[in-house]
Amino acid sequence: MLIITRRPGEKIMVGDDVVVEIIEVSGSSVRIGIAAPKSIPVYREEIWAAVQAENRAAAASDVAQLPDDVPTPSKKS
Amino acid sequence: MNVILQSSRFGELQIPAEAVLDFPAGLIGLGGRRFALLARSEESAFVWLHSMDDPDLAVPVTNPWRFFEDYEIELGDDEAERLGISGPEDASIYVTVRSAPALDDFCANLRAPILVVGNQGHQVINQAAIAPVRAPLFAGLQEEPSRAA
Repeated sequence: MLIITRRPGEKIMVGDDVVVEIIEVSGSSVRIGIAAPKSIPVYREEIWAAVQAENRAAAASDVAQLPDDVPTPSKKS
Repeated sequence: MNVILQSSRFGELQIPAEAVLDFPAGLIGLGGRRFALLARSEESAFVWLHSMDDPDLAVPVTNPWRFFEDYEIELGDDEAERLGISGPEDASIYVTVRSAPALDDFCANLRAPILVVGNQGHQVINQAAIAPVRAPLFAGLQEEPSRAA
């Protein structure tokens, strides 16, 4: 892992396309701006990890457990 | 023209080429670029989002409003622009489901819906305040004992 020291307003390039800027440091939190091409989604790691775990769990679903006709809540009129 | 899908769950299937969806960023944390939606019938509650490239990779999905009437999806303007949508009518929306031996334990991921726009699919992070990663799918039914008959 590359570990570098930056000050607010300073930036980091990841390849030619991704710019990470340190916006503000306040106590134990850091505000970061990320400019990336539209094709690269940017996620908070803990959300990415939670969704990955859920995707894996969903992918482990068993066909036999999924009924063809399940009860669904009736629509409110 | 059809594309052959080898599926470890469903065997060999013929998929119309125009039904193959491109997921430029895959499913979050799983990857995969080409998927197809497989349903037993028009009325099926559960539809399988099946990888065209990995015979084992398939995820059941459902229309979230079928189970969660008040479900809302909030996307940042940047993200909506990235996906090329200006409103909910521009996308078909699904949420992933994890099955379980008992219906009570079925869950849907309301935090990371899948938007299908044209022939592209995108799993996105929902910014709405109430959007759990694991929402019980059949919790709403318990208030309707009349449906149990």
